[in-house]
Amino acid sequence: QRLKAAVHYTVGCLVQDVAEDKEMQFSKQTIAAISEITFRQCENFAKDLEMFARHAKRSTVTTEDVKLLARRSNSLLKYITQKSEELASSNMEQKEKKKKKSSAAKGGRTSGEQEAAVTESEDSNMA
Amino acid sequence: ERRSSSLQHKSALFSCVTGQKQIHCRENWSLSPEEYEIWDRLYRIKESDGVKEPVLPRVQFETLENLEEKSKREEEAAHELSLSEWSIWQNHPFPTSLVDHSDRCYHFISVMEMIELMRHEQGDCSYELEIKPHLRIEDVNVQRNKSRLSMSSST
Repeated sequence: QRLKAAVHYTVGCLVQDVAEDKEMQFSKQTIAAISEITFRQCENFAKDLEMFARHAKRSTVTTEDVKLLARRSNSLLKYITQKSEELASSNMEQKEKKKKKSSAAKGGRTSGEQEAAVTESEDSNMA
Repeated sequence: ERRSSSLQHKSALFSCVTGQKQIHCRENWSLSPEEYEIWDRLYRIKESDGVKEPVLPRVQFETLENLEEKSKREEEAAHELSLSEWSIWQNHPFPTSLVDHSDRCYHFISVMEMIELMRHEQGDCSYELEIKPHLRIEDVNVQRNKSRLSMSSST
């Protein structure tokens, strides 16, 4: 229930963005349905990722497994591949250069995980 | 030989005449002249049939640029198979023959049922009321929301 609540909250935020962008309203029931679908889709994804990794004799899920989730649509696959390359290169940057300025500027518009990674590396630099 | 036996099995499914000669023709991937004649006469959709060619809808992403172009304009003349026109039937599992429903199929059915139950709700949402007390703010990415608010206030 706690997880569902977190998904519901985040879906609500995303839907609000879309609503402002497209200038249309979503009913609370629509948001609830989207968040329930998202919650259940996570189960599908988790099972598939585990199986994809096992199929490659790995126990750790990698970005290659995630790309397989997007295999049915070329546009989606292209988008995901692009994102994973961006992530990989920014991770490399952080490891090699440890220059905070550029990565912090980038962090603003990328995913939350990356932001977390940035703050983590900043913390370790401070210490 | 393994291959011919599987072919024989296939032709048995279609309850065709399984003569020695026919199996020999099936060595090819394409239809034999006899099979082509049957297909042409019984199954092939022609203009005189007055029914449109069935086509499946293509994947399209609203929020991404789409690489797959709708190449055929003539698709207008085809009958696009709808996956949503019978949605009110889809809150219960449909009968199966040999293949069971998958987990994602059951997820779909449950969500359709949930939508059906919420259809007549006005205003407050039961799902929201049920789930909201469980929200822990540390689970969610508040950063995003804040940055959006600060962005709109700074501009």
